[in-house]
Amino acid sequence: MFREVSRCLRLIGRYFLLNLSSAIEYRASFLLQTFGMAINNATFIFFWWIAFDKVGGPIGGYGFADIMFIWALASSSFGLAMVVFGNAPALARIIYSGELDTYLLQPRPVLVSVIAARTSVSAWGDFAYGIVLLALTQPQSWSLWLLFALCVITGALLTTAIQITAGALTFFMGNASMLQQMALEFTINFSIYPESIFHGAVRLIIHTLLPAAFIVHVPLTLVRSFEPRMLLILLVVTTLYCAFSFWFFGRGLRRYESGNLIQTRI
Amino acid sequence: MTAAKARKYGAILGVSLRSGLMYRGNVLGGLLFYALFIFVFFSLWGTIYRAGGVPGYSLPQMIWYVCVTELIVFGCRSGVFGQISESIKSGAVAYELNRPYHYVFYRFFSALGGIVFSFLFYAASALALGHLFVGPLPNFRLWMLPFVLVSIGLGAVIQFFSYLCLGLSAFFIEENRAFMFIYSKLVLMLGTFIPVEFFPGWLQTVVRYLPFSYITWAPARMAVDFSWGHVASALPLQLAWAAVMIALSLLLYRKGVRRVNVQGG
Repeated sequence: MFREVSRCLRLIGRYFLLNLSSAIEYRASFLLQTFGMAINNATFIFFWWIAFDKVGGPIGGYGFADIMFIWALASSSFGLAMVVFGNAPALARIIYSGELDTYLLQPRPVLVSVIAARTSVSAWGDFAYGIVLLALTQPQSWSLWLLFALCVITGALLTTAIQITAGALTFFMGNASMLQQMALEFTINFSIYPESIFHGAVRLIIHTLLPAAFIVHVPLTLVRSFEPRMLLILLVVTTLYCAFSFWFFGRGLRRYESGNLIQTRI
Repeated sequence: MTAAKARKYGAILGVSLRSGLMYRGNVLGGLLFYALFIFVFFSLWGTIYRAGGVPGYSLPQMIWYVCVTELIVFGCRSGVFGQISESIKSGAVAYELNRPYHYVFYRFFSALGGIVFSFLFYAASALALGHLFVGPLPNFRLWMLPFVLVSIGLGAVIQFFSYLCLGLSAFFIEENRAFMFIYSKLVLMLGTFIPVEFFPGWLQTVVRYLPFSYITWAPARMAVDFSWGHVASALPLQLAWAAVMIALSLLLYRKGVRRVNVQGG
């Protein structure tokens, strides 16, 4: 078990270095996309600045600094997920089009090979933006950065696991590309607004099916008033959700039929 | 425009309308995202108004405002920026230069069908979602509709030709995506998400001299808080910005096309 995990981590590391060197080969494009995405995200500060200025108090129990924290965490988590597992959002298309055949032939776990095979260049901008935003908008402390680093990792794992679960639905119901795209959009949108603005079924969804609450809102509670029990819940939920997505993909894979698509990976 | 030219561009428009109908799946997918955005803003503004509200707009006005602004943003998504940039970068533009039409007007009429089709779909969704979340728009009368539609149409023209100009910038700077990112965010921030009246005074003054708010804010404000004063100030400025963007796209095309080197093969 331990050897298997360490082999997977080594594989992810190799893919990461390979993808990074290929991304920075086109340096100008890399920098432009990174800065472009960071500026893109930064425009939302303007929206919240105007909203808080107009309201003159907290919105849904969140102050300006709280919103900046969830933005920083959502941005860096999403960025890390897409930098390391850049192929995850394309999972449904890969399964549906038969591109999975290439990965099935490799002597490594299929899911890890598929999702780590690509990186998103602009996601570096997301990742960096979160760190800069945290540095500029939060009262600085070691515990803040430590918790932030940990929650970026759990957030990235949850974001990827949501993508895997939604993408793997393709095994059972045909092309789930739209559903997977929706899952990503919903997760992002539920992560960048105060949790308390959502009620009823949506509140339930963000704690279960699309656990956006555990990507940003639970970490915010932890940062504002640390509770070991809450941290444990976060770690358990992340582990269980990731394990479920891994298992779900495996179950689906048994139903996969090759599309006889001829392709090459260079 | 002569009758022959009108027939020519009419035929291009006809093809794009049929194409829009054929690929309606794209619009249906977009409808889900449109509904998501409206829902999120409904939840956000609902919370804000329950806690006290914002002077100037009531909650129904605010939600209808977002319905109209997002209708314009979603309805105008024609892909013209990507198509033009790609055709310039790949050199495929060379095949379109010697055809018997003006490149800029061809792009406009070939996208118009899809845009009209999208607008119809998103308008139906805007009406449904607005009514579902906050009920009918207060104080809106049917006779106001033509003014609002003209304003929405002018906003769409400014938006379309701005994207076209950004696409044509590939003649001069190949990696032009950053411009598009920045432009689309300016449109979202300066009028789409929040009405211009919410900005601090100095910013309102700056924004009124820029084209961005005339794409979404001017029509949406007209729909939710109709006044003859707003019609008289907004429509001429929208018309002027539409003319500026059309002229700029013709100029960029004329300058840019001189830089194309066509090689055989």
